[in-house]
Amino acid sequence: MDQNTRNDLLQLFREKLNSAMTYYLETCTRCGICTEACHVYASMGQVKHISAYRHEIVRRIYKKYFKARGKVWPSVGEAKELNETALEELYESAYSCTGCRRCMVYCPFGIDTQMIMSIAKLLLIGAHSEPEILTLLADTSIEKGKSLDLFKESFMEGVKKLEKDVVKKWKMEAGETAIPMDVVGADLLFVALAGAHSIIPTAAVFNAAGEHWTLSFFEAVNFGAFVGDPTRTQLILDRILNEAKRLKVKEVCICECGTAFRVMKQLAADQPFKVSSITEVHARYIKSGRIKLDPSKLNGPVTYHDPCQIARNGGVFDEPRYILKHLTNDFREMSPEPKYNWCCGGGGGLVALGEDTLDFRMKSARVKADQIKTTGVTTLVTACENCHTQLNNLNDHYQLGVNVKFLTSMVADALMQ
Amino acid sequence: MDALYNFVLIYMVYFSVAVFLVGTTLRLVKIFRKPKQATSLQIYPEKRAKWLGAIYDTFLFPSARKHKPVLWVFLIVFHACLLLLIIGHLELFEEFKIFQLIPHEVFLGNGFLGLIFCVTLLYFLFRRLLSPVRELSVPEDYYILILLFLIAIFGSQMDWARSWYGYEEMVVGDYRTYLLNLLTLKPEVPYNVLIAGHSFMLVVHVFFANLFLIFFPFSQSMHSFLSLPMNKLRRG
Repeated sequence: MDQNTRNDLLQLFREKLNSAMTYYLETCTRCGICTEACHVYASMGQVKHISAYRHEIVRRIYKKYFKARGKVWPSVGEAKELNETALEELYESAYSCTGCRRCMVYCPFGIDTQMIMSIAKLLLIGAHSEPEILTLLADTSIEKGKSLDLFKESFMEGVKKLEKDVVKKWKMEAGETAIPMDVVGADLLFVALAGAHSIIPTAAVFNAAGEHWTLSFFEAVNFGAFVGDPTRTQLILDRILNEAKRLKVKEVCICECGTAFRVMKQLAADQPFKVSSITEVHARYIKSGRIKLDPSKLNGPVTYHDPCQIARNGGVFDEPRYILKHLTNDFREMSPEPKYNWCCGGGGGLVALGEDTLDFRMKSARVKADQIKTTGVTTLVTACENCHTQLNNLNDHYQLGVNVKFLTSMVADALMQ
Repeated sequence: MDALYNFVLIYMVYFSVAVFLVGTTLRLVKIFRKPKQATSLQIYPEKRAKWLGAIYDTFLFPSARKHKPVLWVFLIVFHACLLLLIIGHLELFEEFKIFQLIPHEVFLGNGFLGLIFCVTLLYFLFRRLLSPVRELSVPEDYYILILLFLIAIFGSQMDWARSWYGYEEMVVGDYRTYLLNLLTLKPEVPYNVLIAGHSFMLVVHVFFANLFLIFFPFSQSMHSFLSLPMNKLRRG
């Protein structure tokens, strides 16, 4: 690595050094309390997957270039040069961490490994060593935001074709639009994923609740967050923020996508609208009697997998359980408790990387498979697209014999006309 | 020999205390003045008492208690001893009424606190020699533990060493004179301190304490100050 590249990368590193990041890099005592926190370590038993070990890969570079000690006495903290080998280590560390932040619950100081890994991911972007597919997907999303007019008509036509499937789930009055779009003054803007499975059931529930809603032109998923690029993350988010402001909505509701929900909730905190997850909205409809669910539609014991970005990192724990109480009499909680729920193993962009990460995802999420198996359920419910894909993969790989379902689909299927 | 004793007990003390105070202050100011994190770093479920919760997390380490109960016991004992030893040293400057709420002799614990402190340090040290903490550790983790052990073992055993002389030598009054001389910038080690048979223990104790103070602002010992703001970030 030449000196100019190294300087550029160190400048990127420096930009990440706000007060919180500096606390995290200065403080770890390597006490090892976080040892059992990471599902990858718990499943595979390799020290390199312990959270403190992951931080140390970034911290050693910090010690070398950002602490006087790195020049005076580098060996005391094993300060390390930023070079090609370091980049390889950063890659392995960053892309084996799903950003579930379970280790943050264990750490006596509350060190945020995901945040430290964001330095690793940014350095990889700077060195053009990140997974290209994630950057490509992020750029496609950004491009879509720039040229809405080019795809608007074809998108609306495509959505129109889905309306008959929505009506199958919830009959509507003549003249009503099953999937409203571009409605100025709507109460709620729904941001779905690219795919009919994300739009049809939700549209049926909104219509059943009599919601004054509109569908976003943009997909919720934020590949910028997966790849750890703050600029791209913001650009992708801005498309939705601008749309919400243009339509003057009161609430932006994010579909079943953990990262999209957390990014929106955090980065849109000061916007003139409320941010909710679809789970929160559905629970609200049930509480206020706007929708009624038929509990007889679901047979057999059911458990719920808390998506890390929605539950531990987003605060939505009670709502999915409240909804499930209206769908089944045999709900079984996983052990350990939701705060300590094991990550599915697919976060942090790993599912988006597809087959390339499949083997690792299966090996590293053995504890998740065991956790599901112990419940003895036949239906496994979740509220995140990534988790759903990963849980389905786990179901096949470990032959769990469960039916993996989206919570929204279950609500839509149980709607009482 | 007197020159060496004077160097360690006076000039090196001034230097190390200055490095500790200036270094710690400057580093903290620099860290706290950095831009704040724009987004929340909170972990859920949310608890109402955020500051109280952060104080609880900082001083009682509930996560350690839950996940590593044996380590937690040693951590609590270690930190409690550290606090009491700091109080003990403050009492060597002057008798504070507030510390005498539970009446006791100076030095607090008569060396036993230091011994317990050493036992916890040995536990931390041997724990680091075992996998997986061994693989996580870097040299500074060992240096700090060894340094603290040496400080504490020589410091605490001075009480035992006094028993060689029927507790006649290096009495509390001598320490007070020495420390007040340092405080009032009259750098002079009292004669009784220099001639006592176990003076070397004090010199070794102070020497390692000096090294620790010099290293403190640049080490992970800064968690003493950063743990609370970090726990507050987690609580939201």
